[in-house]
Amino acid sequence: MTPVVFIVDDDAGVRKSLARLLGSAGYAVEAFASAREFLAREPHAGPCCLLLDVRMPGLTGLDLQETLVAAGRRMSIVFVSGHVDVPMSVKAMKGGAIDLLTKPFDDKDLLGAIERAMAKDVQALGAEAHVAEVRERVQTLTPRETEVFALVVTGMLNKQIAAKLGIGEKTVKVHRARAMEKMQAGSVAELVRLADRAGVIVPKS
Amino acid sequence: MERRLDIGLVSPLESLRGPARFVTPSTLLLAALWLAPPAVAADLLGGKTTLLPIWERDHWYAFGAVTLIVAEALFIVWLLLRRAARSQARLVLEERLRFEALLSELSAGLIHIPATEIDVALERALQQVVAFLGVDRARLDEYVEEGQGVRISWHPRGLDAPPTVMDADQFPWTAEKLRRGDVVRFSRTEELPEEAAIDRAGYERVGTRSYVSLPLSASGPMLGVLCFGSVRSERAWPDALVERLRLLSQAFASALERKGMEFSLADRLRFEKLLSGLTATFSDLSIADFDREVQRGLHRIVEFLGIDRGSLIEFFRDGRTARSWTIEEWMDVDEFPWMTAQLKRGDIVSFSELEDLPDEAAVDRQSYLAHRVKPSVAVPLLVGGTVVGGLVFSAVGAERAKSDELMQRLHLLGEVFANALSRKQVELEAQRLRQHLAHISRVSAMGELTASMAHELNQPLTAILSNAQAAQRLLAANGVNLDEIREILSDIVADDKRAADVISRLRVLLKKGDLEQVVLDLNEVVSEVARLVRSDAIIRNVSMTLDLAAELPRVRGDRVQLQQVVLNLVLNGLEAMREPGVGDRALVVRTAPDGADAVRVEVQDSGTGIDEKDAGRIFEPLYTTKLEGLGMGLAIVRTIVDAHGGGLGIANNVGGGATVYFTLPVATER
Repeated sequence: MTPVVFIVDDDAGVRKSLARLLGSAGYAVEAFASAREFLAREPHAGPCCLLLDVRMPGLTGLDLQETLVAAGRRMSIVFVSGHVDVPMSVKAMKGGAIDLLTKPFDDKDLLGAIERAMAKDVQALGAEAHVAEVRERVQTLTPRETEVFALVVTGMLNKQIAAKLGIGEKTVKVHRARAMEKMQAGSVAELVRLADRAGVIVPKS
Repeated sequence: MERRLDIGLVSPLESLRGPARFVTPSTLLLAALWLAPPAVAADLLGGKTTLLPIWERDHWYAFGAVTLIVAEALFIVWLLLRRAARSQARLVLEERLRFEALLSELSAGLIHIPATEIDVALERALQQVVAFLGVDRARLDEYVEEGQGVRISWHPRGLDAPPTVMDADQFPWTAEKLRRGDVVRFSRTEELPEEAAIDRAGYERVGTRSYVSLPLSASGPMLGVLCFGSVRSERAWPDALVERLRLLSQAFASALERKGMEFSLADRLRFEKLLSGLTATFSDLSIADFDREVQRGLHRIVEFLGIDRGSLIEFFRDGRTARSWTIEEWMDVDEFPWMTAQLKRGDIVSFSELEDLPDEAAVDRQSYLAHRVKPSVAVPLLVGGTVVGGLVFSAVGAERAKSDELMQRLHLLGEVFANALSRKQVELEAQRLRQHLAHISRVSAMGELTASMAHELNQPLTAILSNAQAAQRLLAANGVNLDEIREILSDIVADDKRAADVISRLRVLLKKGDLEQVVLDLNEVVSEVARLVRSDAIIRNVSMTLDLAAELPRVRGDRVQLQQVVLNLVLNGLEAMREPGVGDRALVVRTAPDGADAVRVEVQDSGTGIDEKDAGRIFEPLYTTKLEGLGMGLAIVRTIVDAHGGGLGIANNVGGGATVYFTLPVATER
């Protein structure tokens, strides 16, 4: 699948030239004149990144970043701006931006930044896929196994878990073994890592 | 003389007419003889035979008769002589009475006429006197300070005009006597004394045989001379006649004096009027009209003084350069280094003849010569002890005496021009400061706009670079698509033009030029400013809209300054919406006709509005409600709008925020 670069810039000339440059580097390009236009498009499943102008009328680049983060959407962002100041760059980087380029910029800098953004996106894409798989495994657990799994990852001993759930220690051992097996975890440490990735929340009792 | 001779011949004949009017002894004797007895009568008249005895008897009769006849003849002669003398006396009296009647008629006539007609009346009077006296020629000279009095002379055809006896070269003795107030008279040139030899030669040269000359003076100094001369014959000037001529000269003198007084009064009034007119003109004069009004003022002065050339020189503060206004193009300061130096020192330069100029004024002399200027006077113009310029007046033809009154007038005129120059310099300085301030304000506005300008400029630069590099990549790859390359190049060209446009707008804003009044469209001015601040509005997250009237009447003004006004108002509006609490940030710039003869530009913001207490002072210099403001923005707006003859105001909007507006008068066709 061809990686897609989304461009959001209010300046038509800039939009067109960037699309051309990225096109010449072999990327698929989609350009938008405003942040709202971009938000109206449904999220892209494949590898992609966003080349985003900081200053725009209406919703700014930073506003768009905030919106995407809040929505939990995966998106590697390369910011571009005519004038960069410290508060702006701090905010952009805290929001997870890959780079902040000052206009005008060299094609090597741009393509480098886009490459890094794509790599990060591919990585994020892989991680996303892994999490989905772990979540699927969690789904195969019985309710009791889930309970035991949730308590095991908090570091509780079998005896404590048995006392907490009001079941026998042996029963706990069986559930635990089944859960480890279903989660394809070789050790408790690995189970804890998977639980962390899948976002398993310890049930309050 | 002829008349008199005639009188002398006629009167004895007349007395012999009408003998019945006289009874003399001889007529009595004749009557006695006629009445005597015939014998005696015969004896007496015819009897020859009886003659001797009769003679012997009556010889005493004969003696008596002869004696009687002789006595009678003597008596008749005496009577005749007495008669002639009495008749002569009566004629003299009559003539004197007629002359006195003429005199009183002339005097009365001179009193009741206006000053402007006095010269004509004098001429007519002189003619009457000449006719009365039967002289050959007469002359009346008036002496005035500037040497331009009336010269009335009367002489018959074929005779030269009588000479000017006040010419001390030709008639030194006469002139001196007249100047002392004496009458000069002679029946024959031989009567002139030894010391008057030059005068005698002069009179003989012009053919004067008898002559009388009287000084004209009323209450003050000598006003002129009245002369009568005889060319064809010699004649006497008896005391009685001279006395009467003296009366005539007094009547003439008082007429001349009255004329002089009225003229000098009228002259003084005219000067006062000229001075006050100039003062009024220069006290309220815009820089634009200065040159024209100076020219007009110089023309009026030159006309008033009756001279040919006038110029005003201005020395600039640096002390080196100068400029001048002239009539009759001639006054180039470089041509007159000596005069200029004198003026700069505060000295008056005045000369009647080029020979009067000192040796160091050689260059000046050549220039005066080249310009055919003879006399000239230049007064320095001083303001507070500093020489700001000079006023120069010159005549081309006639030499003119420099009178105290003229100098006093030149000083008064000089004061008017000095004030005008100093006011102009102050005004120019103020204008320069205003422009400088406006420039500073534009530069500081530029500072505020830097971020947005960088953004504005970076867009096309980014596009150009990316396009160019995309083209490079396309060319490096195989299978070049020329159409695409062509498209890229045309985009590059367009973006480059865009960048240049931004730069040129910046340059206009930073220009520190002179005022340039042109007829312009305020919609264009507003649009230009809007393009300039568009990015700034974006950065500030303000939506800026233009609401421009179609068919907006044009106004007259300086484009850069009016851009400044709109820019300051827009920046002010943007600044007003900086507060975090402001909701929808919207700025509207609106143009509309304001009545039939004005145009209105409004800048409406949706900020916090203005406090009542600030409203009155918001356009004052150094008044600011902003934390970082200088308080100059709106003050500069007011200065510029005032200079364009417009108005300015501010009001809070009903829905929040404030609207600042200015109006400018619609340009009239010129």
